[in-house]
Amino acid sequence: MSEPSLRAPVAIPVKSGSATEQFVEEAQHALFDFQGVSSQNAANARLKRAVNKATLHQYTQRQAVMPDLPDADGLRTLAGEIKQHAVENLDYYLEQLRTNVERNGGHVHFAATAEEARRIILDIAKRANCTRVIKSKSMASEEIELAHTMEHLGMDVVETDLGEFIVQIGKDKPSHIVAPIIHLDTAHIAEMFSKHFGTPYNDDPKSLADQARLHLRDKFRRADLGMTGGNFLVAETGHICVVENEGNARQSVTTPKVLVSLVGIEKVVPRLADLAVMLKLLARSATGQPMTIYTSIFGGPRKEGEKDGPEEFHLVLLDNGRSEILASEEYRETLRCIRCGACLNACPVYRKIGGHAYGYVYSGPIGALITPLFKGLGNYKDLPQASSLCGACYEACPVKINIPKHLINLRRDIVKQHIGTRSERFVYRAWAKSLKSPLIYKISCMMQKFVLRRRARGTGWVSKLPSVAGGWTQVRDMPAPARKTFHQMWKKR
Amino acid sequence: MQTKSETQSGSVIERVRRALGRSGPLSAAPTPPKILEPVTRLVHSDIGLPELFASRAATNKMHPEAVGAGEVAARVVAFLKSKGATRIALPNSPVLERLGVLAALRGAGFEARTWDQMTLDELYDYDASVTDVSWAIAETGSLVIKSGAMHGRAISLVPIVHVAIVEAGNCVPDLLDLMEILGKEGVGNNVTIISGPSKTADIEGALVTGVHGPGEVQVYIVQ
Repeated sequence: MSEPSLRAPVAIPVKSGSATEQFVEEAQHALFDFQGVSSQNAANARLKRAVNKATLHQYTQRQAVMPDLPDADGLRTLAGEIKQHAVENLDYYLEQLRTNVERNGGHVHFAATAEEARRIILDIAKRANCTRVIKSKSMASEEIELAHTMEHLGMDVVETDLGEFIVQIGKDKPSHIVAPIIHLDTAHIAEMFSKHFGTPYNDDPKSLADQARLHLRDKFRRADLGMTGGNFLVAETGHICVVENEGNARQSVTTPKVLVSLVGIEKVVPRLADLAVMLKLLARSATGQPMTIYTSIFGGPRKEGEKDGPEEFHLVLLDNGRSEILASEEYRETLRCIRCGACLNACPVYRKIGGHAYGYVYSGPIGALITPLFKGLGNYKDLPQASSLCGACYEACPVKINIPKHLINLRRDIVKQHIGTRSERFVYRAWAKSLKSPLIYKISCMMQKFVLRRRARGTGWVSKLPSVAGGWTQVRDMPAPARKTFHQMWKKR
Repeated sequence: MQTKSETQSGSVIERVRRALGRSGPLSAAPTPPKILEPVTRLVHSDIGLPELFASRAATNKMHPEAVGAGEVAARVVAFLKSKGATRIALPNSPVLERLGVLAALRGAGFEARTWDQMTLDELYDYDASVTDVSWAIAETGSLVIKSGAMHGRAISLVPIVHVAIVEAGNCVPDLLDLMEILGKEGVGNNVTIISGPSKTADIEGALVTGVHGPGEVQVYIVQ
């Protein structure tokens, strides 16, 4: 999981206390401690309040607008089929996309790894003498830690989405796919602004946003490299579709002389008409809006006589583990994901622990699923357990990825590949054995019944369980087992 | 550079092909799932599109008003006066010319310039923009602008106030119809769909408008 590339430009000393230093340090810890971080976060009342409030709001909004659709379930099925079709014919659509982007006058680069993507983008910047970068929000760029790398190399790079800007000045990490600073409350943000700009504390959201607008406007005006991600790539025309609410991605495709869009290879859809299907679902699922404020469909450099738009356009298509997921017929379906964040908002676990607990760029149910696939199940073996399997994520997913099913399959893989700890394996094996043998099952039931009924002392409730089971009775009692088991009653009939 | 990207592309597409269990390119184009109209389409009729557009645009927090062709110029002037704007940017648009908007603005003492009379950098010092639009979508209450040499991408983005003139005949029912039109006419190198004033809810869910784009979008629907 640690990428040596992070430490590659060692010629430049890592500034102590900088975000880069923190990243390098964290990259060296191969195993991610989900238990530790999630327990810590679940005990942080301020974080929990902020995350819960925002996710519930977005979830409720989603519920409110989905009925606008004549057949929401049918549209989700169709969207899932379109994405599945695109993924299963990805080689064809990538070729078609490349041909059409080049026909529009753009350059196409394929990056197999994060390292390769960084190198391609830095090369483009270097050749065009670009140093002032405006970057709009993109999960793919988080994957390759682009902003940090650019900062590290002394480029003036600024995250222009307000949330991402706050992440950047706070040397923080995004904690939600759509709402990156969902874990911070207004007071937090006001403190950060006051510190960053050296201005008096002001916690009025409008004033904070205006302060950022003013600061970033100057950056927009003078930027020479624009960076975007991409929500969809249209194979038949060679265009990139980006959705946003603020206008900063529009700035990226308008002002700078060079534009680079970094997009995962799985974002391809075959036709323009597919955009209609996807756009009707994306914003509704993400924030409960019928449409985001801005939807840009762009591609290619400016034409003769045009006074804005890039002079040079590059599309960098990122693999970075996707083709490996594609190779698994079972998990291929996860590449349908359009990164709307609906499963995060719907998830009772995410709402309690926030995004940082998942230890990687992608959090929530989809993160618990794809992070182990991207970064190795052995490194993130706790993530598939970070779910109650309640199914709310599947119900919310606009492309119908069966997340609970895949999480169960990952748990199966952990057992099959002997990734779990020895004691875990012992417990599961013993459990399997007792369930398979009526005699052992009967004996273990009787023992459990005896112990539990004794603990209940005739009250009908067990208020304290021993050792590992103790957590369960910390906040509630457990009903004592009945005098007769179901089996015994069945026999008597 | 070109040859380098060739070899790189070779390798990623090769990996994808291998992952899919194929030894070579597909012999024929695959057939994508059919777009099911009853499931996808929200607006089925051509009747009352400007009204539907206006009501949806209002939900999107734009300010739509229906006006006659003869009065639109005067309305734009009055609106921009009420906003205290002085420098106004416009695209080079036959529509705005026909409606007499540019002449009315200049006549009323505004410093109104068209896209060919300014640089992109200068646009950052303008208070407002007045543009026509290529289409309007009734389903979503959105403005659609296809940019080009006469209509820069930045005009409807940079100034804090955007006044959009929609000709009633340019309303399309559904997103599906827009995509069909774009398929026929070509996307060009940039199409922007605008569905409200620029906004964010990043700061603890508080809705703030006018983050990086216009904070106010006034729409005149010309009958």
